[in-house]
Amino acid sequence: MTLADLVAANSVSAGLLTVLKFCFLALLYLFLVLVIRVVLRELRASKITVQMAEPAPVAPPVPVHDAGRSRRERRGTLRLQFHEPTGGDDLVTLGNEVTIGRAAGCGIVLDHDTFISQVHARAFQQGSDTFLEDLGSTNGTFVNGERLDAPVRLRKGDRVQFGNTLADVVR
Amino acid sequence: MSLPTLARSRRGSELGLGMLAVVVTGGGYVVMSLADQPNLPADLWAFLGIVLGLFVLAHLAVRRLAPNADGTLLPLVAMLNGIGFVFIARLDRGQGRTQALWTAVGVTAFILTLLVVRRARTLERYRYTALFLGIALLLLPLVPGVGREINGSRLWVHLGPFQVQPGEVVKILMVLFFASYLVDKRELLTEGSVTLGRLRIPDPKHLGPLLLAWGVSIAIMVLQKDLGSSLLFFSVFAAMLYIATSRVSYLLLGLVMFVGGAVIAYMLFAHVQSRVGTWLDPWPVADRGGYQLVQGLFAFGNGGIAGTGLGLSNPRNIPLNTTDSIFAVIGEELGLIGTIGVISTFMLLVGSGFRVALQAERAFPKLFAAGLTTILGIQAFVIVGGVSRFIPLTGVTLPFISFGGSSLVANYVIIALLLRISDEETARELHPDPARSRRPVASST
Repeated sequence: MTLADLVAANSVSAGLLTVLKFCFLALLYLFLVLVIRVVLRELRASKITVQMAEPAPVAPPVPVHDAGRSRRERRGTLRLQFHEPTGGDDLVTLGNEVTIGRAAGCGIVLDHDTFISQVHARAFQQGSDTFLEDLGSTNGTFVNGERLDAPVRLRKGDRVQFGNTLADVVR
Repeated sequence: MSLPTLARSRRGSELGLGMLAVVVTGGGYVVMSLADQPNLPADLWAFLGIVLGLFVLAHLAVRRLAPNADGTLLPLVAMLNGIGFVFIARLDRGQGRTQALWTAVGVTAFILTLLVVRRARTLERYRYTALFLGIALLLLPLVPGVGREINGSRLWVHLGPFQVQPGEVVKILMVLFFASYLVDKRELLTEGSVTLGRLRIPDPKHLGPLLLAWGVSIAIMVLQKDLGSSLLFFSVFAAMLYIATSRVSYLLLGLVMFVGGAVIAYMLFAHVQSRVGTWLDPWPVADRGGYQLVQGLFAFGNGGIAGTGLGLSNPRNIPLNTTDSIFAVIGEELGLIGTIGVISTFMLLVGSGFRVALQAERAFPKLFAAGLTTILGIQAFVIVGGVSRFIPLTGVTLPFISFGGSSLVANYVIIALLLRISDEETARELHPDPARSRRPVASST
């Protein structure tokens, strides 16, 4: 039955109206399914982009003065004591070089805090000193309340903040 | 996926899904009038022209002004607005025409918002402007000569021939203020804490803002007798506080405070008691205070699983059938299947809004998007829960569906802001600004 027939007919039967109602509902649900399909497609695509971006970024090599480490240098190894559970270890040793961020490829993965960028900061050793450098994170890296714009040397007792996450520098 | 590809695919989805929403709206309109008389509605082409034209206009604006934004928000809104329009046009021709006009104003506001707000971040600076403007707008209806009292609430302002509810705009200003305030204070709110058993409770001295929000919401409940706004105000604040600090304790504390406040208000005030009494047992007052609720419940019951059919019920005896009770009319004519469809549309809308918030990396857009989305979600929950007797019935509009211009325009502005944030964040994610980010990108594609 076409619409023209409908117009010609004197009245529209209850049966036809029921059929039309179900057509309407079917279209509504079709719309919902299509929206969900678009959402799922985007979620899958974004997962691929993240996977592509996540492998540990190749950081520029840091000149380490002497490869053979003296006792003094090993004593100089600092560790971060996080204030709240980070999902992994709360006490992390800052090795030769370690990246900190939400991406799975980082040396220290802090994926519980959405205010941390994918690759947020980097700690590296130079001689016997450990430095912390912000890698252009959105919400910044703070040492004792000061936002970093250049690498800064860490000392025992410093308070470090990435996003909302706090940590103390300990030996 | 590169940025232009993503933008093209998103705008394509938006157009396709939006067209389907237009078809559903047009189809619904035809079926509804066929139930009345055997001819196609005389104004079908005008109707379709308006619905299609407004959607295409909004779509073109997004294409031009926010090309990378999420592609599902606008079609979902078109669907909700379309369904609402079909029901309103059938229930009351005059209100249908008014609603069409307001939809046009809403789409204009949508485009203007996209035009004016080029960066969501700039809004952060207008924190106190938003606060004071919001307070002024809230008080405006109380000014003699300007304010109007309708249905016992003094929430209206008359502007020439129009009635405007400034409270609708205040919701947006409030979220703007909360977002920028919380971005500032979030470190403070996250840091100090007292441990109580397994729960970490924020330091009492940082609870000031939560207490203030609580006080204001209780005051709205008691003084304005507006339980809906009160619930909306407080839950949006608690949700944003939770998102800003990721502390569940704030959420629990907020819940306990609100329930406590509500219980005290119940014990002290008669109008709260009668509202709750009607909710718990509407039948003894079915012809008085419980009339609206009971008529709505009858409508749902009569609709059953699949509904009576579009245009085939008699909704005239449901009070406020184009505004507060419109969900009951939908329940009667489209049944459980139809109401689940409408609720799913809301859930997808809220889901898309929260995806925009999740994608945002900066604190302000993240909180702003989450807060704006929460407004839409809570409002839908409060009124759908109210008419279905899940919570006490309070009058708020069902976003995009209920008759009401101020609410429609405000909600279109909310969607425009969400699209603006989505556009910005997508562009940032796929094209990291080299000046801002020194991080090496693994594959430069």
